[in-house]
Amino acid sequence: MSNVKRKSGEKISSDLSKMATLAKAFTAASDWPDKDEFLDVIYWFRQIIGLVIGIAWGIVPIKGLLGIVLFFAVNMAVIYVYFSIFQKVDEEDYGGISEILKEGLMTSFATFLVAWIIVYSALYAD
Amino acid sequence: MEKYKKLKSEVEKQSKKLEKQKEAIGTEASERSLKKKLERQEEKLKTNNRDLSMVKMKSMFAIGFAFTALLSMFNSIFDGRVVARLPFVPISWLQSISHRNLLGEDYTDCSFIFLYILCTMSIRQNIQKILGFAPSRAANKQGSGFFSTPTPVGK
Repeated sequence: MSNVKRKSGEKISSDLSKMATLAKAFTAASDWPDKDEFLDVIYWFRQIIGLVIGIAWGIVPIKGLLGIVLFFAVNMAVIYVYFSIFQKVDEEDYGGISEILKEGLMTSFATFLVAWIIVYSALYAD
Repeated sequence: MEKYKKLKSEVEKQSKKLEKQKEAIGTEASERSLKKKLERQEEKLKTNNRDLSMVKMKSMFAIGFAFTALLSMFNSIFDGRVVARLPFVPISWLQSISHRNLLGEDYTDCSFIFLYILCTMSIRQNIQKILGFAPSRAANKQGSGFFSTPTPVGK
């Protein structure tokens, strides 16, 4: 009985902390004492960007190397604007600008490719 | 399961502590006693990492077996079939994967294995992260440091 109460208590506090993180992510110039928390926000933001760009490029459609180059450009630009202008984070706290720009990049690229290929095939393949 | 959770949290705690200590020591003059303390911490972390790997071994075998079986099943179902059309032409060495067992010279035809690999890279990674089974960043950094000379931290 106490185990069940403890687990539901832990679940509630974990949900609350996720909502707090989400609120901080949408608030300009938030304070990020836990570096991993901010890097997680960057990671998931990147996955969503990858998915959205993949779907968009599949619908338009954008083909070839141009699509891939544009993906990297848009992805890096959005993340850079987010952390340096919206959140005003000091990149030295995270080991340099490349650490933040690298966070989740390859997984986001894979997500983008999967979304792009599937949407393009669904709409344009015979 | 309890042992796995305990070891995982130990490894994460020690990795973070070690990272902080390395940063602190990097900016001061090197003292032998501090370096020895650092080495002892690294040894403890290595031992914990090894124990964690042993606990993970059983589940890794089961996962490997399951995915191998799944892969060979999909291979027989999708062999020679075009599963998708690529909106780009892959570079030459990727074509051997993306155009595997497919007829014709149209390299925008996609074989299942290419899409499977991409899905593994994106969906599996994200699910591991959602469920909390991905190793933490600090643990990753210490792990890679064991195989290469660590770069100096700080400005």
